[in-house]
Amino acid sequence: MEIERFQADVLCVGGGIGGLMAAMRASELGAKAVVAEKGNATHSGKGGGGCDHYLCYIPEVHGPDMDAYIAEMLQTQQRHNFEGLGMKRIRVHIANTFDMVKMWDSWGIPMKYDGEYHFAGHAFPGGFRCLMKYGGRKQKPILTKKALEKGVEIVNRVMVFDLVSDGEKVCGAIGMDTRDDKIVLFEAKSVILGTGGISRLYPSPTPGWFNNIATRLSLTGDGRAMAYRAGAELQNVEMRIQHAGPKYYARFGQATWIGVFRDPHDKPIGPFVTKPERLYGDITPEVNKNIFLEYAQEGRGPVYIDGRGMSQEDLDYMMYWLPHEGNTPLIEHMKEEGIDYLKHPVEFMTYDHGSGGRIVTNDRAETSLKGLYAVGDELANGVSNASVFGWISGERAAQYAKQADTPDGNKINKMINEKKTLAEKIRGRKNGPDWKEVNVALQQIMSDYAGPLRTEALLDAGLYHLRRLKQKALDTMMAGNQHELGRSLEVLNMIDIGELVFIGSKDRKETRGLFIRPDYPLTNPRVNNNVHVIKKVDEKPVTQWRPMQK
Amino acid sequence: MPPIIEENKCSHCGLCVDVCSEDVFFGSKKKQVPQITYPHECVYCNACVEECPVKGAIRLRLPLPMMLMYKPA
Repeated sequence: MEIERFQADVLCVGGGIGGLMAAMRASELGAKAVVAEKGNATHSGKGGGGCDHYLCYIPEVHGPDMDAYIAEMLQTQQRHNFEGLGMKRIRVHIANTFDMVKMWDSWGIPMKYDGEYHFAGHAFPGGFRCLMKYGGRKQKPILTKKALEKGVEIVNRVMVFDLVSDGEKVCGAIGMDTRDDKIVLFEAKSVILGTGGISRLYPSPTPGWFNNIATRLSLTGDGRAMAYRAGAELQNVEMRIQHAGPKYYARFGQATWIGVFRDPHDKPIGPFVTKPERLYGDITPEVNKNIFLEYAQEGRGPVYIDGRGMSQEDLDYMMYWLPHEGNTPLIEHMKEEGIDYLKHPVEFMTYDHGSGGRIVTNDRAETSLKGLYAVGDELANGVSNASVFGWISGERAAQYAKQADTPDGNKINKMINEKKTLAEKIRGRKNGPDWKEVNVALQQIMSDYAGPLRTEALLDAGLYHLRRLKQKALDTMMAGNQHELGRSLEVLNMIDIGELVFIGSKDRKETRGLFIRPDYPLTNPRVNNNVHVIKKVDEKPVTQWRPMQK
Repeated sequence: MPPIIEENKCSHCGLCVDVCSEDVFFGSKKKQVPQITYPHECVYCNACVEECPVKGAIRLRLPLPMMLMYKPA
């Protein structure tokens, strides 16, 4: 396999919103910034299909007390996005949001509606509306173009799958070209991981299908897996994430729908609204994402989002935002099927939305390894978060790179040989399971042994099965081309994270929210303000409870 | 399975092949109608449709397991 080399002051792994923002800021500050993107930055990442809501605080709109805004925001689903980060970080984020919004608006991403900043959805009636509606449908093409204008080099179709590190600092990364038979080496003074969340660790709503997901098939926890392997700390990896959306159609946009969630007898399932309210939506599932699953399990479903009684004007408003939120195919489908939302309530469901957790970072997006930063879903969910911490991390990494050493060539060469051998083995096999077979096996172990109910006995059994699967995958998995090799490496990353989910779950001897240990039914108040950290020490995972950053 | 290309409308520009984040069109040849190599990896993000310069040359078909479940009027 041929080796292609790139050099950078700041390497951004993942060309999503976080990675592009980081690279732009680093480039502005004079650093050589390179983005390594697994797909194509123009439409990649969780924001690749668009987005219609941006968490933004404007004193003139929300009043001068930013903490009051934060307190309101933390009563919505945003509390999950910020879990375990601490107030200092939240304040840094919120204080910077309006500057980002103004910058994006000046770049051509429409942040205003009818000429004004407009806040709606994800809100309790009478409370602050914390989310700004914006026209994010073309956000990724616009940000990609802007990054190129600012001198960022974008390398598409390369899957970075390991960091070059001496256990203390990071000085590059190794990737695989996903189209041609090539290894790609990045010698970099600093690395920013903006690699997204994990989409395929748990089954999708459609059994055996990987692509019925709200995000992307290619978001597989690569960043946190390689960060862990390089010695960085992860936190709360065992926590679950549930999402809610149209039944069998895993997609974002729960709060873009305007209507009332009702049971089969037209009774609202929540206490917040009794008729469609365009400025608030029905926030019931943000109080309890599991509510649709609970109705189903208790035989009280189905539950519908019901837009009956709304005005044509409100429907037009909703249909204006749905494409920005990445739902154009849904609208086309409704047209083709003759589904008139003014007449037909649409069923909703709760489904697994990957696994929680993040890379441990501080309020400058620095990880526990020198020269390594994390942004986007590797730090915290949401476009607003990705843009703010992308920008901050780019600034920090550019400053760090000025005094960082040149990467150690010997160490890099040794790592290349290890990775090359693994890749050539997987590509060289003529028989064996492909990535899909390994992925299905992984999903069934995760959902049955580290699913909604986790006991010591189940976790021990599941960890044993998972480790057997890992060995079998390493010994027998085959890939017919570079694309399938990339998918295979993704599955290996997810197996690594799956293993940490088991180990983290075993050590979390309590029940907390959706994390349920029937053998430890109490929530342990002694760890309320702690994060559960996991890192590799002497090649073994070690867990630790640590007070959350204030 | 999605996407669907109307061969007589396709201008062979290759933009859909370039922008697909999942590389559903892996192995497509330049200046030819793109080949849909991995239909089960399409996540219906609509990037190929958005970027296509010829209206109607490419569209997505929502697979049956994903059809919306709605209440009859």
